Amino acid sequence: MITKQLVDKIEGEASLYFELEDEKVSFATVSFPHTRGMELMLEGKNALDALVITPRVCGICGHAHLMATVRAIEDAYKNAGYEIHLSEKVELLREFTLVMEMVQNHFKWMYLTIIPALSKLTNSSQELTPLKGAFAASIATKAIATFAGQWPHSSYMIPGGVTADPTNIDILKAQSYLSELKTFFEKESLGVSLEDFLAFDSCNDFTKLSSDVGALNEALLKTDMHIKGFADDTFIVLGEHTFTEVTKLKHTRHIGVQHKYVSTEPSYSPHEKTYAKNALYKDAYYETGPLARSLSNNFAIIKNIHRRYKDSAYSRVMARVFELASLIQHASSLLKKLDIADTSFTKSVDISKINARGVGVVEAPRGPLMHTIDIENGVIKKYSIITPTQWNIGSSHKEKPTPAQRAMIGLTKEEANFVFRTFDVCSVCTTH
Amino acid sequence: MHSKQDKKLKLLWFQGVTCNGNTHSFLNLPNIEQLLENFEILYHPILPSIYSLEEILKLEENCDLFLFEGTYDPLMQHNGVELSKIVDYYTKHATHVISVGTCASFGGMFKATAPERNSGLIFNEEESFGPLLEQKQKVINLSGCPVHPEWLSYTLSMIVSDKEVEVDELHRPIELYSNLAHHGCTRNEYFEWKVDVDNFGEKEGCLFYKQGCRAPMTHASCNKILWNEVSSKTRVGTPCFGCTEPDFPRTDMFSTKTNMSIPQDTPLGVPKRSYLTLTGIAKTFHIKRLEGKLIDYKTTR
Repeated sequence: MITKQLVDKIEGEASLYFELEDEKVSFATVSFPHTRGMELMLEGKNALDALVITPRVCGICGHAHLMATVRAIEDAYKNAGYEIHLSEKVELLREFTLVMEMVQNHFKWMYLTIIPALSKLTNSSQELTPLKGAFAASIATKAIATFAGQWPHSSYMIPGGVTADPTNIDILKAQSYLSELKTFFEKESLGVSLEDFLAFDSCNDFTKLSSDVGALNEALLKTDMHIKGFADDTFIVLGEHTFTEVTKLKHTRHIGVQHKYVSTEPSYSPHEKTYAKNALYKDAYYETGPLARSLSNNFAIIKNIHRRYKDSAYSRVMARVFELASLIQHASSLLKKLDIADTSFTKSVDISKINARGVGVVEAPRGPLMHTIDIENGVIKKYSIITPTQWNIGSSHKEKPTPAQRAMIGLTKEEANFVFRTFDVCSVCTTH
Repeated sequence: MHSKQDKKLKLLWFQGVTCNGNTHSFLNLPNIEQLLENFEILYHPILPSIYSLEEILKLEENCDLFLFEGTYDPLMQHNGVELSKIVDYYTKHATHVISVGTCASFGGMFKATAPERNSGLIFNEEESFGPLLEQKQKVINLSGCPVHPEWLSYTLSMIVSDKEVEVDELHRPIELYSNLAHHGCTRNEYFEWKVDVDNFGEKEGCLFYKQGCRAPMTHASCNKILWNEVSSKTRVGTPCFGCTEPDFPRTDMFSTKTNMSIPQDTPLGVPKRSYLTLTGIAKTFHIKRLEGKLIDYKTTR
C-alpha cells in the first residue's frame, strides 16, 4: 500500500510516498512538484546578470548561490586566459558573509524546524520558542549586510572582488554583532560558553547541558534517533573554503575528489510528477552537509559520535548544532585577519571578451553547490546548477536508494517525516 | 465591549512561484514578536501555524489578511488544488490583500517561468492584469526583491490600528514608495557633481554613470530605512537594480546604457535636455576633494 504525505515548511513543499509493511516504511520516494526554470531563464543574459538572478534561487541560501556564480565566472575568465587575482581581503570578506549565512540557516533550522518536529514526534507539551531562531538569524544577517549591503539577495560579489570598500568602523560593527550572537547562543541555546562547548570531545558531554541543546540531545536519544535514520555512511564535501576539507568519505576513510565526476540523473518518482534530479559522484550517492563537513574536518566530538552512532539521525542533527558553534568561532577569526588597506576589486577585461566555460563550487548550508556557466562573448549560453538537496534527497529505485530514502526505511511514517527533516531539506533549491 | 486584543486578525501567508526570499526577509524584523502578537497565524510557510497546509487547502477557513508571496501562476497546484482556486477563495473573505514582494506585485523574477500566463495579483509589469482586478481596492503592493521587513511591518501595523494606507497608482504605500532609492545614498555628492567611477570596490564615485545604478529612477526607501538596519546596496558599492519597479529584472544590470557618454535614462522627472546641460557644466568642474580617495589607509598608517 502506498501512502502519501505532504511535507511543507521545507523552503517549499515535497511529497513523500511511503510503501508500508506492518506500519513501517519499506520504501519511500520523494517528489518535488514545483519548479521555476532558473537555468533556462539565465540563457541569453549577460553573464554578470547571473550575479543578480542566481541569489533568487533561494531565500535562505542565496548568498551561497551568489558565491557559486562569482566563482564560476572567475573560472571562465581563467579558462579564457585571464587569470583573476583576488586579494586576501576579498577572500576573507566572501568567506565571512558565506559563513554567516550558514549560521543564520542553522539557527532557523534548529528552532523553526528540528525542535518543533521533534516536539511533535514526542507529543511534548514543552513550549516552543521558534522566534529565538529568527532573532539569532537576524543578528547574523546584520553582520552580512554590514559588508554585503543586505540579506537576503545581495549581489556584492563580482568577478575580481567585492563591491564593498569597508572601513574599520564596519569591521568593529560586524565584530560586535558576532559577539552579541555568541552571547545569545551561549545563554539561550548552549548553557555553557562557546569555548567550553567546542572543547567537548564526547557526546556524553551533551547530557550535562540543561539548555535547548541539552534538551534536543535528550529528546533525540529518547526517540532512539541514535539508532535510527542511517544512510549509507558515505559523504562528500566539494566546496573549497577555509573551513572545509574537500574529500569524499567511506565511513571515515578520506578519498580525493574532483568535481568533474559529478553528474545528475532524473529522479524516480512513479506517483507524482517531479522536477528534481538526483546528484551523483561517479554513479554513487553521497550524504552532504554539516555531518560530512565535520567528519572531513576530523572534529573530535563528531568522530566520537560517529564511532558510536554512525550516520544516524542523531549524528546528523548534533553535527549541525556543533557546526553552528564552530562557524561562529571561525567567523570571528576571519574578521581578525582582515587588512583594511587591501584592495577590494581588481579589474580584468570586459565580460564581452570571455568565451569559456567556468565551474564554481561552494559549500552551502546543506552541502556542495555547483554552478557551471558557458559564456559566449559575455553572454550566457548555458547555465547548470546542482544543489545539496539533490545529493541528500534524491529519489531512486529500491535497489539503489539515496541517503534520505535509505534513512527512512524501517521507520514509522512519523519518524520518517522527522528523519527526512534532519537533512535540512530545501525544496526551492532542489528544483530551482 | 471587546478590546482589540480579544479579537486578533486572522493572517494567512500563502505562496505562488517563489524563492522564499520575502519570508526570510520578514524574519529579520527586529520587533517581529510584538508585531505577530496582533495576529492569529492561520498559515505561514515557516512560522508555526494554527492549520497545516493540507487543512488550508481544504478551503474551509476564512482569513482577514491574505499575504501572497511569489508570482501568480493560475495553473500552479498545491497538493492538487489550483492556485487560482486558493487565491479566489481566501481573497473573497479577506478585508486586505498584501502582495509581498515584486513577484506578487508585478510578476517579477518568476514571470519568466511562464511569461504567457504568470503575473502579479493586479499587475503584469505595469499593465493592469491579474486575478484580483475586481477587488483591487483591497490590494496593497509591497514591491521589492525581497520586500523590506520594515515596509511589511509598517503596512501590517497600519491595518491593525485601522488606519488607511494611502497608495500610489501601482498600489504601493506612498509613505514607503514616494522616496527614490537615491534619497539618502551616501554617494549623493558624487551624483551632484557628476563624479563617476571606473571600478567597483571603492567608497568614492557615483554608480549611476557606468555601473548601472537605477536609484535615481527607483521608488524605494532603501537608503532611508536601511536593510537589516545597517546598510543598503549603494552604501556597499553595489548598484541599485531597481527591484521595486515593475520592469525588474532588467538586463545588463551592471552597466549603464549611455548616449554620448550620458545615461540614456535620466533621473525621474528630470527633462533630458536640462540634465544634459547640467551634466555638461558639472563635468567641467574639477573638484579635487571628490577626485581623490576619501581615506588612504596606506599613507595614514
